[in-house]
Amino acid sequence: MGKEKQTLFDKASSSGDLKSIIQQHTLFFDKLIELIPAKFYVPSDDKKQWFQGLSKDEKALAKKESRENIKKARRERFDPNSKKTTLDLLKQNLEKEKSNEDSDDEETEVKPVMPGLEGDERSVTYEELRQRLRRKIEELQAGRNAGSSDQSKKKNEKSEKKGIEQKKRKRDLGSEGQKSASIDASKKVEEDIAEASKELAFSHVKIGNEEKHGKKKRKLSKFMELEKAQKIEEAKKDPEKGEMFAKKHSWKAATSRAAGIKIHDNPKLLKQSLQKKKKKQQKNVEKWNERIETTEKMKAERQQKRSENIAERSLQKKMRRIEKREKKLMRPGFEGRKEGYINQAVETGMRRPAL
Amino acid sequence: MARFRNKNKKAIVKPIGKKKQPSVDHITGDKIPKSFVFSRGKLPGPLKQLELDLRKLMLPYTALKLKEKKRNNLKDFLNVAGPMGVTHFLILSKTETAPYLRVARTPQGPTLTFKIHEYSLAVDVAQSQSRPRCPQDLFKNPPLIVLSGFGTGDQHLKLTTIMFQNIFPAIDINTVKLSTCQRIVLLNYNKETKLIDFRHYSIRLQPVGVSRRLRKFVQNHQVPDLRSLQDVSDFVTKASYGSESEADDEAATVTLASNLGRVNRASTKSAVKLQEIGPRMTLQLMKIEEGLCSGGVIFSEYGPVGDKKKRENKKPEDQEDSEESEDEDNCKEEEN
Repeated sequence: MGKEKQTLFDKASSSGDLKSIIQQHTLFFDKLIELIPAKFYVPSDDKKQWFQGLSKDEKALAKKESRENIKKARRERFDPNSKKTTLDLLKQNLEKEKSNEDSDDEETEVKPVMPGLEGDERSVTYEELRQRLRRKIEELQAGRNAGSSDQSKKKNEKSEKKGIEQKKRKRDLGSEGQKSASIDASKKVEEDIAEASKELAFSHVKIGNEEKHGKKKRKLSKFMELEKAQKIEEAKKDPEKGEMFAKKHSWKAATSRAAGIKIHDNPKLLKQSLQKKKKKQQKNVEKWNERIETTEKMKAERQQKRSENIAERSLQKKMRRIEKREKKLMRPGFEGRKEGYINQAVETGMRRPAL
Repeated sequence: MARFRNKNKKAIVKPIGKKKQPSVDHITGDKIPKSFVFSRGKLPGPLKQLELDLRKLMLPYTALKLKEKKRNNLKDFLNVAGPMGVTHFLILSKTETAPYLRVARTPQGPTLTFKIHEYSLAVDVAQSQSRPRCPQDLFKNPPLIVLSGFGTGDQHLKLTTIMFQNIFPAIDINTVKLSTCQRIVLLNYNKETKLIDFRHYSIRLQPVGVSRRLRKFVQNHQVPDLRSLQDVSDFVTKASYGSESEADDEAATVTLASNLGRVNRASTKSAVKLQEIGPRMTLQLMKIEEGLCSGGVIFSEYGPVGDKKKRENKKPEDQEDSEESEDEDNCKEEEN
């Protein structure tokens, strides 16, 4: 080899033509390049396979693809008909770069093609991925109330039970694998929240000032209500608009009943209540009359008793007087006042003539 | 004579002074809505538990220990409801397809029939949580209610909204105390599936902006472990890791108007935390009837199609009887 070099140099110095010198140099370098297999010399386009961050199925697919690519490449390499030497591949690459004119390709052009370059590429992709991770964490934190965090929390709890190593592996894989899914879930939930917050109804709240100036609704007498209800029923039976009216009325009635307002629209019930009222009134009248009767009766009784007592008293007084009088004549041996002969001789017709 | 003891003495039962629940709120003057929760027909075990959970939910204005017998009709309940001032009935029943929940307004009110697709009991919910919470006076005050997704368009949805809003008493802003709002019932309507989610939470307020250590210390009164610290200032100023739920956005915090407990002070920010208690249900509105389980059907999920519905429309009076006989038949079947 050494002699060849010297002869080359001698030839060069003898000819003195710059071009021929350069050509000879390039030929030499080409021969050297051909000795190096293409794997180590030509920068490959294939980016390093990134398996983290993919789901199970995707990982399996990616691995399958890479295996097949390797097989293909090996077949091409050992194919006797292809005749692709390192030099040819290099030329191909240069042509590609010229046509694309990408900044990435320029980098590989400018920098000396060294195997160390692959390390930088790796670090670049790692940094990119780290940034992506940070962004995803921030997004998750923003939509934390979505509920997807509960899912990941539960998964973490489950894995803690199994073991420490498994826990670490599972948590990493689980959280990162779920990030894409949880972002979608959180977005959807945010949408739902936004929609739901538009139409919210709460329990009734009393403010207290509204009712004072409200219209005072007069209570209609039952009779009037009955008439009203009967009218409504007739309107329902109306052939033209009956159905519509009936539906409207039933909805209105149901809504106000649910709200607590009493609606009297059943004429049957109203009639019943009217009758009840009548009967009650009648009963009351009866009771009142009874009361009056009894009071008068009692009054009469008392008055009678009183007058009786008074008469009795005066009679008693008289009797006492008589007794007193008679007491004087109750001497021993006497029987009291002369009461008259046994035969009452005084006759009304016969009178003694006056002598 | 006192020699001969009368053995057939009647025992005189003195009524214990029961606290009568006011029928009319003495502050606002409105009628307080009260409810009965009962079942028609024999229910299997979990459904009985659901009935008890619903009763607890409706406290304090409900009959917690209501006893129903097989021979009680709906009329019996109606007769009792009148004098007691009960305004709503919640009736649970079960058919072969699914359990049903009927919400009705007593005197002649509309009845909403819901089909229960899924339900979870309160015990299950408590078991699924790591720290179930049930403070003592949780059920002394009625819950708040929030309905979402019902909108103002459809009539049957409007009716449902009004019905549920009136089951729980109204809140008077001027006199309400924050400590009385401890429970909340959420009803969410999903337009696509037409299902209503029913959830029941307990409300808890936590001050925001205080470090976790300080908050725990003030709440629990437990002396902290200061072995590893050099100085008390380390304890106070150490930036502790925030729990996941502390990274809440501004929307979940409120500024209190008054003090609530020792920790939450007025005009400071507090976070509202909801913890689920009580049953969870997925309901679907099936039909709305004009009367109390009787009357014409004004809304039906599957439209006015089918002989059954027509039969119902024609014979509104027999409906109750047929239902009762159905329930009795069910009972008999289950007994056999």
